[in-house]
Parts: sequence; structure tokens; C-alpha cells
Amino acid sequence: MAITVIVGYLGTAIWTLKVSVSSSRTFPVDDFVGLAQYVRLFGNDRWLLSLENLALYGVIFILATMIIGLLLAIFIDQKVAGEGVLRTVFLYPYAMSFVATGLVWQWVLNPGSGIQDAVRRMGFPDFTFDWIVNQDMVIYTIVIATVWQAAGLVMAMFLAGLRGIDDDIWKATRIDGIPAWRVYVSIVLPMLGPTIATVFVLLSTAVIKLFDSVVSMTQGGPGTASEVPTKFIMDHLFGRANIALASAASIVMLLTVIAIVAPILYARSRALKRAGSQ
Amino acid sequence: MSQAHPLQSHARRRWLQPGKIGVYVFLVCSALFFLAPLYIMLATSFKPMEEIRLGNIFSLPVEVTFEPWRLAWSDACTGVACEGIRGGFWNSVMIVIPSTILPILVGAVNGYALAMWRPRGGNILFGALMLGAFIPVQVMMFPLVRVLGSVGLFGSLPGIVLIHLIFSMPIMTLLFRNYYASIPEELFKAARVDGGGFFRIFVAVILPMSTPIIVVAAIMQVTGVWNDYILGLVFAGRENMPMTVQLNNVINTTTGARLYNVNMAATILTSLVPLTIYFLSGRWFVRGITAGAVKG
Amino acid sequence: MNQAKVAAVALMAIAFCSGVHADAPKAEVIHWWTSGGESAAVKTIAEAYRSAGGVWVDTAIAVGEQARSVTVNRIVGGNPPTAAQFNTTKQFLDMVEQGVLNNVDQVAIKDGWEKFLPETVLNVVRVKGHFYAAPVSIHMPTWIWYSKAAFKKAGITGEPKTVDELFAALDKLKTAGIIPLAHGGQAWQENILFTAILANLGGKELYLKILRDRDPIAVKSEAFKKVLVTFKRLRGYVDNGAPGRHWNDATALLITGRAGIQIMGDWAKGEFSNANQVPGRDFGCIAGFGANSPYIIQGDVFVFPKSKDPNAARAQMLMASVITAPATQVQFSIKKGSLPIRTDVDSSKMDLCARQGLEIMKDKSRQLGNGEIYLSPDQNGALADILTAYWNKDIAIEKVQRDILAALKDGQ
Repeated sequence: MAITVIVGYLGTAIWTLKVSVSSSRTFPVDDFVGLAQYVRLFGNDRWLLSLENLALYGVIFILATMIIGLLLAIFIDQKVAGEGVLRTVFLYPYAMSFVATGLVWQWVLNPGSGIQDAVRRMGFPDFTFDWIVNQDMVIYTIVIATVWQAAGLVMAMFLAGLRGIDDDIWKATRIDGIPAWRVYVSIVLPMLGPTIATVFVLLSTAVIKLFDSVVSMTQGGPGTASEVPTKFIMDHLFGRANIALASAASIVMLLTVIAIVAPILYARSRALKRAGSQ
Repeated sequence: MSQAHPLQSHARRRWLQPGKIGVYVFLVCSALFFLAPLYIMLATSFKPMEEIRLGNIFSLPVEVTFEPWRLAWSDACTGVACEGIRGGFWNSVMIVIPSTILPILVGAVNGYALAMWRPRGGNILFGALMLGAFIPVQVMMFPLVRVLGSVGLFGSLPGIVLIHLIFSMPIMTLLFRNYYASIPEELFKAARVDGGGFFRIFVAVILPMSTPIIVVAAIMQVTGVWNDYILGLVFAGRENMPMTVQLNNVINTTTGARLYNVNMAATILTSLVPLTIYFLSGRWFVRGITAGAVKG
Repeated sequence: MNQAKVAAVALMAIAFCSGVHADAPKAEVIHWWTSGGESAAVKTIAEAYRSAGGVWVDTAIAVGEQARSVTVNRIVGGNPPTAAQFNTTKQFLDMVEQGVLNNVDQVAIKDGWEKFLPETVLNVVRVKGHFYAAPVSIHMPTWIWYSKAAFKKAGITGEPKTVDELFAALDKLKTAGIIPLAHGGQAWQENILFTAILANLGGKELYLKILRDRDPIAVKSEAFKKVLVTFKRLRGYVDNGAPGRHWNDATALLITGRAGIQIMGDWAKGEFSNANQVPGRDFGCIAGFGANSPYIIQGDVFVFPKSKDPNAARAQMLMASVITAPATQVQFSIKKGSLPIRTDVDSSKMDLCARQGLEIMKDKSRQLGNGEIYLSPDQNGALADILTAYWNKDIAIEKVQRDILAALKDGQ
């Protein structure tokens, strides 16, 4: 593992850092141009917008996926009939390539062909649902489609967590006459802590790497309204043959992640140490 | 939703009994939301192109055709060859098997070492590894191509397996570490007192207890590797290109015509392998985590 | 080692099957022609190469960017293909400078490329006096297509012959309740609209000043401002379902008579003919306005990476000569919907629009490259970002001009 970390991840990070201060285009070159790429990066409207989009998207996507996943898990856990079928129904989007499902979402959300058109034909001529063509709302359509894809996996993990909770707890609360919702909020949720943490990490990596769904649904449009950093990086890495600018953008992303994750990890490891020494 | 009812607190089983209708309404509505895209994909895949061009995506096919499915599997053109997506099937299988087994083994050893032996600097190493999970794979591609090229593994089956191993290590390690952290420490201490070494304890004590989490990891890994496109495309070499490369060739084109019905059929066909695995191991998946993977 | 063995076995198998001698020049070719019509087209090249005694090993990877990135990665990883598709642009200039490409001067001089290649194409494939790429096709990205049914319904009698007449036609279509302009709201499609307006309204001189010379005075000029305003004016004729739409769905709007006009490359012909529509009968094609309107050239080439394999150069030379041969060119163009890279070919089997295009091409003064021929991929992309943002949002025209100025200065 140490070798992977050093060669694979740290090596790449250092290499990327080095390219980001060079004038590399298609191929990496060894010169040094200072922070020129970073200056250009932060003068670029599209990059700034994609950072904003990612922050907005990330918060809503993680919250929505966790809440929907948890609700599905809790409800499916009520000994419902057809649990196996329901679980598969919620999980299947995880197995589908976004190249095609993104197109389906594009059709469904497009005002000309999708829900808006269908509802209008049913006799509601004023019904409007045109988020995907709307500059300000398009990012939420990405949320809808990606929640659809990820919620099933989150449900499965939460469901498993719920099943792992000791039956005795339910017996005890039953005797005490505590309402179900309170048991869930004050006893079950805290016990799901580690599950929530695992799910959170998984979803966060998905946010940072958000790419396929945007490309297949909106291509970053209308205009640049749904651009995300990974797409900016990829465009410059390949299509635009500017690996220096792409590297600078990657370094910015990496630093952002470190700034967010490091304090959490530090706090956790201190908590662990304290727990261990007791 | 049922807290107002007097029966609610008497038995877990009965708690939501009155609200059971509510539960079913919620689940059925959710199921409809989840299934809607699949319905459109299926309906589209059985329509001839003229019908799709006219464009009501929700309508059932007027004239049902199986042609798109045949094309998708065995006859669609993807270049000079017109063999559909089946060409890459065995390549994908050959990649998936080692790329599932190896990362799980390595992830298990990592998780075991971090959780049980708590090596000095283990947390920092783990932290760095978790950061790796946040780097988009495409950014790491260039240097990895160089490294693999210099050791002669670029464009080969071992090369692509190694790449999958590297990219899946953070999440696999995370899964196993959390799982082992929940195993009672006494068990491990007893084994050490008995004079067990690192690998001996792993093989004799830890591994037998790991079946459930292994199933969980296998499901995540099979899905990930099976659906991977970019890594297979770059690192596998043209003899080992996975099925998704064929799938993309069928679906994606910039200036060529698109056959939406074939695209949908091809996508559904490609995802059948992970879907089958979900279906078969659904029980295991849940029981696996139950036994402690994320229980803490 | 192992791989070499596999390759050797594969080669032997191919040689055995096709009855070709084992040391026949073998070319592994990376390209992104994966859709039905494209497959049929690339097959004609592969056939021609085989009948010239070569062995064709096909590596098709959808989407240009991905195919090109695999080529670059394989060069870096030490396992280059024999030939790889690029666009007729500056995309491969870095590779020339890094010295990873073989030239095909031998073939180019023997076959007389300088005599028959359009100057615009020649200037791309010839770098510092050497020929580093073999051109294979020419596309014209800014054809104006119109549905005859829609025109009839809107009472439009003749083809528009000026930009003003185009807008008059769009107005009539709008009044008739037809979507005037079928558009797919993706950055590259907006780029096509811009290019069409810049060429037809701005004219050749302004076009070259902006895209080739990156002349700051021209970017700030009133004439260019007028181009930008007119480009944005088209926005008023697009339906609100346009954003994200693929170009072929926009073409389908024309085919079904729901829309009147689309500005798109000649690859749209494939979509029409798949729906059994015939040029001149069901739809019309306009290359540009007026007898002197520019003809925009975009296209594909193959480049030939250097290789350790001593036989590669021979395969590359054969390939360069086969793909530029008149017979191959005609067959390929018919299947692809593109134009041949040379005008000295038999055009009798081509369709109406292609013949019209070939006729225009014969007048060298009307040929212009598309943006990518003059700009680096980076500059071209930055320009596309600005144009798509301007198309979709309310941005002051002065800011657009400033941004374009900066984008054309940056990168390179």
C-alpha cells in the first residue's frame, strides 16, 4: 500500500504540480512559467462558474441522496412485501452506463419532448417544467439524474446498517413506549454514524469526479451554465491540448479537497487516539 | 407518519402498520420514478427509427421490432468491423475477474493492517490514500502511461489489472478497514497471544470472518470495472479492449447518424452482467454489511 | 514479449485468412468513424488498402477527442499505431514539433500533392516544407439546409440569397407556426452558426483577419460587432427545446417538417437519406450567399507516428498513397457525405449538394478554413466557450469583444 501511495498518488500529484507551472501543451515540457496558468485559470469565467456549480451541486446532491437513500432504506425495512424486487429496482441505475441514460434524462427533461409536453397534452397547457434549458435551473437537473443513479446504492448500505442494529434496542424502546420516529432520530441515526461516514466519502468522491452525467445530459450547457471542474480539466487535457492549464485546475481541485478533508481526518484520528488510549 | 396512532409503540412489526399504506405509496412512487427511464429505454429499443423521429418518448412502440437488439448484440458497425458489442464481452470478463479478486485481497490486507496492527504513520498513509480517491483518474493517466510504458506493461492485460488495482485501493481499503474495526479486539489479541504472525492471523482468523464484506466489495468492484471505459480504453491495449469501448462506439458519434433504438438495447445488454450479480447476491449484499462492515 | 507473440499470431492468422504474404505492410489505424455511414466509408479505405497489398488492423474509438488522446497516450507509452486520424487542424502540430511523426514526403512529392490539394489543406499538412499528414476528406460545416415542405407551407418561394433574405424567410416560417431555425444547443453547434454568419456577412477579409491574423483592430471593429449581433439575432428563431439537443435531432425536425432551416455540416445529408429524403426534392442545400461566398473547409487527415517497427514506414507510405488516390477518394466521399480532397475526380455519382460543393471548390479564391485550421485547439476552445455563453446569456457586446480578444491572445 505504501508503494501505491508514494508512486501512484504522491508521484502523480508532484508530477501534476510540475506540469502546472510549465507551458506544456500536448506533451509535458520541462520549462517554468511561474503561476501563469493559475492566473489564466482564475481569469476564466467558465472555470469560476464551474467551481460555483460544483459547490451548489455537491451540497444538494449529497443531502438529497442521503435523505432519499435513508428513507428508502427505512421504509423497505418495514418488512414490506417484494423487498427483493424493490431493492433491485432502486439499485439498477447504478449498473447502467450514463452515456445512454443521460440521453434518456435529456429527453424526459426537455420541454419539447418530455414531461412538460406530456402534461400539456393531458390538458394543462400552462404547465412548465423546463429546468434543463434554463440557465439558473439546469444544475438541478443534473442533481435529479445523479440522485436517481446513486440513491439505490446508498439505500443498500443504509439498509444493511439498519439490519445490523441489535434487535434488543427495538425491544427496549418498545417497552419504554418511545415513538418510532424518535427511536430513529435519537438512537438509530447515531448508531448509523460509521455508515453515514462511509456513504459521505463515497458520495463526495462522486461529486468531485462528476463528469459523465453532465457530458451526456447537457454538455455543460445551455452555454456554460452546467459546467463542472472535471469537464474543464478533461477538455483542456485532451481536446484543447493544454495539459498545463488542466494540471493547474487539477491542483486547485486537489488543494480544495485537502482543505476540506484534512481537518476532518485530523479530528477523527485524534478522537481515535483518545479512544485507543483509554 | 404513524406517530399519532396508539399502537405505534407496541411492536416494531406493528409500529408502521397503520401507516403501511403510506409506506407502500412512498415505495411505489419511488419505484415508478426509478423505473421511468428504464421504461423509456425499453420502449425506445423496440421502436423503428421512423417512430423515434416522430418523437413521443413515452408512447409504446406501434410496430414492435427486435432488429435493434440483434444489431446491438451482433451486427452494429463500430468501425470497419460490424460485430455489435459482443466482441468485447470476453475481454471484459478477463479484465473483471482479476481486477475484482486482487483489489479485494489487497484491500483486505490493508484494512486488516490498519485496523488491527495500527502501524506507525498508518493514519497518515490512509489519509493520503483517501485523498487519492478524490483525484479524477484522467489527471493521473499521463504519468501512469509513462510508468507502465517504461516497465513494459502498457497496453496489456496485467497493465490494466494493475491500473484497476491502484484506482480501487482507496475505497477497498476504506471498506475493509471499517469492517475490521468493528471486530472485537479480544479475538485479535487472543490470536496474538497464541503466537500468530501477521499473515497467519489474517488467513486463519480474519479471512474466514470476512465473507460478507468480500461480497460487498465484489459487487462494488465488479460494477466499477465492468462499466469502466476510459481506463480500459487507454491501458488495456487493442487486444483486450473491454465491452464498453464497443458500447461507446455504438452509441457515441459526433457527426454520424445515431440509432437510438440500438443504443438503448446495447446499454441494457451491457449492464446485464452487473444486474445479474445484484440480483443473485442481493441477499448476501445486505447480510454482508449487517455482519459489521459499517456497523462501527 | 507476450504481446509481440499475440500480435505475431494475429498477423499470421490474418495473413493466412486473406491469403496475403506474411510480410505485407501492416497498418494499425486509429480512427473515430464508428457510426453506420462512417463505418461504410472507412471500409472503402480499408478495402483499397488491402487490394494494394496491405493488411489493415482497425482500431475504432468513438469521439475524436478520445481517439486522439489514445493516440497521444500510446505514443507516450511506446506503442504507437501505424496511422491515426486527426482533424485538418493544428491538433497535431505539437507532435510534429516533438518529432514523433514520420513525414510522407516521398509519396507527397511523387503523387504531386502540391498540385491537386486545396491550398487551405496543403498549408495544414505541410509543416516547414515536409508533409506530416495525409488528407482524406473535406467537410463543409456551414451548409444551410431547408425543408421544401416547410418553405411551401410558409409561402417562401425562392431560396434566400442574402443574409437579409435569410432573416425574411425565418420571419415567414415563424408566422406560419413552424420552428424557423432547427438548432441543437451545444457549444460546437453554436460555433457553426457563428462561422456561417462571419463568413457570409463579414466576408472573407474580415473572416481571415479575425480567425487567422487574430487582429485586435478587426475584433474591435464595427463590422465584427455587426457579425456578433446578427449571430445572436438568430437566437430569436430557435425553439426553447434546443439546449443540449443533438444535431441529428435538429435535422429530424426538418425531416418531419416541424422546422424550416438548419445550418449544419454536410454530414447532415446522411440523416436525410436515412429517412429517404432526396436533395432537390424534399430538401434544399445552400453553400453560402452569392456567387463569391466563401466555402468553409474542415476535414480529416491521417498522421503517421514514428515506430520501432522497421516495416511501419513502408505501411505508412502505402497508406498515404492509397487514401489520396482519386478512386478511393470518390468512394469514400459518397459513403461519408464529404467532398474529395481533390477536384480532379469523377463527380457523376455524387449527390446534388456534393456536386455543387465541388464546383465551388474549383474556385480557389472562395476556399476558407474553419476556425480550427487557423487557431490552436486551445484558442479555438476558448473562443467556443465565449460564443456559447454569449448565445445563451445576456452579455454586453463590448465584453464579448474583449473576451474574444483575450482568448485569441492566450494559449497558442
